[in-house]
Amino acid sequence: MKIRTVIAGNIAFLMLATAGLQAADQMITYSAKPGSKMRIEGTANILHPTWQIESPIIGGMIEVGPGFPTEPGQAATPGRIEASGKVFMSVRSFKSVESDGKPFSDRMDEVTYEHLKETQFRTINYKLTELTLKEVPKAKDAPYVFDSVGELTIAGVTNTIKMPVNILPVVDPKTKGLEITGSTAVKMTDYKVEVVDINLGVGHIRTGDEVKLVFKWLLVQKKAAAAAAAAK
Amino acid sequence: MSENESEALGYNRRDFLRGGSVATLMAMMGGVELFAQTNEVPAATIKAPTIKIKVAVVGLGAWGREILGTLGRMPQAELAIDAEIAAICDTYKPFLRRGASAAPAATQTEDYKTILDNKDIKAVIIATPTPSHKEVALAALKAGKHVYCEAPLAGSIDDAREIALAAKAAKHLAFQAGLQMRSDKQRLFLLPFVRTGALGKTVLARAQWHKKTSWRATSPNPEQEKALNWRLNKATSIGLIGEIGSHPIDQAGWFMNALPTAVTGFGSTNFWKDDRDVPDTVQAVFEFPGDVRMIYDATLANSFDGEYEMLYGSDAAIMMRESRAWMFKEVDSPLLGWEVYATKLKVFNETGIALVAGASKPPPVDAKGQPIQPDPLTTTPLFYSLSNFLLNAAELTQAAEDYKSSYGADDVDGLMEELGKKRRRASAGYLEGFQAAVTAVKANEAILTGKRIELKPEWYELQ
Repeated sequence: MKIRTVIAGNIAFLMLATAGLQAADQMITYSAKPGSKMRIEGTANILHPTWQIESPIIGGMIEVGPGFPTEPGQAATPGRIEASGKVFMSVRSFKSVESDGKPFSDRMDEVTYEHLKETQFRTINYKLTELTLKEVPKAKDAPYVFDSVGELTIAGVTNTIKMPVNILPVVDPKTKGLEITGSTAVKMTDYKVEVVDINLGVGHIRTGDEVKLVFKWLLVQKKAAAAAAAAK
Repeated sequence: MSENESEALGYNRRDFLRGGSVATLMAMMGGVELFAQTNEVPAATIKAPTIKIKVAVVGLGAWGREILGTLGRMPQAELAIDAEIAAICDTYKPFLRRGASAAPAATQTEDYKTILDNKDIKAVIIATPTPSHKEVALAALKAGKHVYCEAPLAGSIDDAREIALAAKAAKHLAFQAGLQMRSDKQRLFLLPFVRTGALGKTVLARAQWHKKTSWRATSPNPEQEKALNWRLNKATSIGLIGEIGSHPIDQAGWFMNALPTAVTGFGSTNFWKDDRDVPDTVQAVFEFPGDVRMIYDATLANSFDGEYEMLYGSDAAIMMRESRAWMFKEVDSPLLGWEVYATKLKVFNETGIALVAGASKPPPVDAKGQPIQPDPLTTTPLFYSLSNFLLNAAELTQAAEDYKSSYGADDVDGLMEELGKKRRRASAGYLEGFQAAVTAVKANEAILTGKRIELKPEWYELQ
């Protein structure tokens, strides 16, 4: 009995130690890769009743814990996922475009940078604080639906925002990655960003307060900590 | 002009009128104030956050000093760039001294390589004699500098091709040929106007440059005098057609959206009988598709009527002088509704309708609401050309920094691909510069031989 207890205890210890080791190296890091897009859509009063600016560059990373689906169609249980992330976009990388994506106006760009106080706050930042899996896809090529909570900082002002995001694991022969898409509406005055109210050549333009952020963010998985440790 | 013909010119008339819609119509009405009068004083011009960029000018002859003066006026134009003239260079000390008076804070050097070693200098403007463009441009591109190279790019097609190919490969760098008309706001305003058929069918183009001047520079040093007078020697110069004619000839092709198919030239030294072997008076006839010809003449022996460009169509003609333009209509041409309101000018016995870019926009106003007259020195084609170059250079530099900070500095291919997609302000790029050089070199050849030369399409291809 005593020996069995000792052995059982040792096995239990080994299992716990192994579980701990697995927990530590099940944190997976994904880094931003090219091909992303952030679009900010708004409204105005005349001639161009909608406006939009786009950036093709979204930088940053996310780190996700156990239970996060890393491959398409992977089984997963809805619920809170351990996760953190940082996103940044250069204000100057945003350019105004027509609704079909064609360039709109350099002057509009200058007005945008001025309103976003670009000389003081060169980037728009987002910090992910919570990630909860809501829905597991029925098809292998469909995304997982999450609820996210994070802190969005525009022109130096930070607000907590909640938004649903779709995350699609992407696997190709060489890499694993993620395609994260989503959208959310924010009010610019919540970030102390004044609405545009200016003569812009073709008339007096006054933009609406509410804007919509629509994004597609591509990331590639970094080597797992375990693989790095194993390499040692 | 039919819709098919306007499509061939790269513009669809319906899209032009619809896509720009009210903005376009207002622009076309020239000189007419369309905005409802209100008691509200329009907002003052927003001063955009500025991007700082350090630039060097290599070549400080008359045009290089003109460039320095133009750069010096940029702060007063409240552009989104703050261009600091960090260095100036010329191998001829008197030019270097004269350049320093326009850029007293700039480092002075006789060796352009010291400029290229300076990591803080991001952009180089090349205004050296044409034969030395290639050496400086290739070295500057290799050193990772944005390059503005005066036109003609080179005195030979091979040299122009080498420059253009190097610029093409350097996707992360802004390269601009000094064909400043391609950045001029007035020309950019006229371009869709012409291409959507407002002139009817284009039948003829013409341009001239008349200025009584010897082109000769003097120096107490005979060797230096030869170097200073490179334009008077056919071994080092493609003459009036290249040094001056490049610009209006490129402009005509740009407006017609076509390259010339042949050129016949004539040249003679009528007045300045010295040791030069470059004609002081030239004429050239360029053939364009659709049986359209452009007649160009330039002389150093007479100043009458200066320089201007004309485009003649079946419904109207356009005259362009400096930054102004007028339209002269045929009596049987259709009435364009807006012309009833446009400003008109008597030119000899003809009535010209003023075509003014931005005339319908509310002018900027001061704190009392009084219109501010634009400074004529900040509305020249050279000003727009240089400011667009510096804005393009600054934005490419910024975009490269954004990309590297987001994705790491190792992904060079991705960076180059991304920067290749960047939208750039209106300017003549490496291809336009190369093609203009091909035309100029062959036109000079036609002038010196008095022959007609067919301009083969493959000569204009950049491989």
